[in-house]
Amino acid sequence: MSDFSPLRDIPILIGAFFVLTAAIGLVRFPDLYTRLHASSKLVTLGSAGIFLGAALELTDAAAFTRLAAVLLFHFLTTPLTAYLIAQAAYLRGLPPLLGGGGRRGIDEWGALGQAEQVAQADRDAQRAMTAEGE
Amino acid sequence: MNGLTLNLLLAVVWMLLAGEVSARELLIGFLLGFGVLTLFPRALGTGGYVRRSLATLGFVGFFLRELTVANVQVALFALRPHPPLNPMLVAVPLRLRGDSAQTLLVVLVNLSPGTVALGFSPDRRTLYAHAIGTPDAQAARASIIRIEDHLLRCMAPHPPRPEVSP
Repeated sequence: MSDFSPLRDIPILIGAFFVLTAAIGLVRFPDLYTRLHASSKLVTLGSAGIFLGAALELTDAAAFTRLAAVLLFHFLTTPLTAYLIAQAAYLRGLPPLLGGGGRRGIDEWGALGQAEQVAQADRDAQRAMTAEGE
Repeated sequence: MNGLTLNLLLAVVWMLLAGEVSARELLIGFLLGFGVLTLFPRALGTGGYVRRSLATLGFVGFFLRELTVANVQVALFALRPHPPLNPMLVAVPLRLRGDSAQTLLVVLVNLSPGTVALGFSPDRRTLYAHAIGTPDAQAARASIIRIEDHLLRCMAPHPPRPEVSP
């Protein structure tokens, strides 16, 4: 068990590297939105590497299929969580750091902190679509 | 008939003719069946199915490349002394419709280089996204539109929504 096996250990090492950079990014990036870039992308691929290494280590077919399912749902859920966190933060009024390096900040949504108004507009649009469908 | 159904049916027929019930024979039958559907698209009406399947295969390759680029980019940003983040919020007009397709788009956008999806307009025709590491808003929009183009090529074309006059 203690010797190095490339097929198992290289995916795990790559995965561990990306999870480490995700942790460094979480500390070093300036605000929640930029930190979500680190947590959604790096953690997804990082843990995928670790799962892959584990699946190749366990030669048992049942363990392999289960890890494949874990991998699939991991890819579907982690990015969606980042989306929901970013949306909740923005609509509740956490201002994103924009621009920098002499560049002008761009916010093309312009709904910062307007959770109530956006929810109301959503409900109105849904109602209009339902009425149109009938 | 639906292309995928026909393809599976051909795979089962192949397995029965091979006289062996196994995943291996099923796979061989599926691939041979796919070849038949590719050779006779006019007679079987499977041109769209073959085109979408190949687009999906191409999409998987494209996605794996994007995922690698995205991770290397953010990892470098995390390790560099002064990363040129230049964060911005961009609005992207969408052609993709439907809740599940747009959910898939959000997942893919969040795994692509430099973008995290933030929300939709009430009519679901605009996606708002947070972008880092791009020089301007146009470049950030272009990367999301590229993903959307790939997704649209993998999907069956929708008939246009009929206009309802009041």
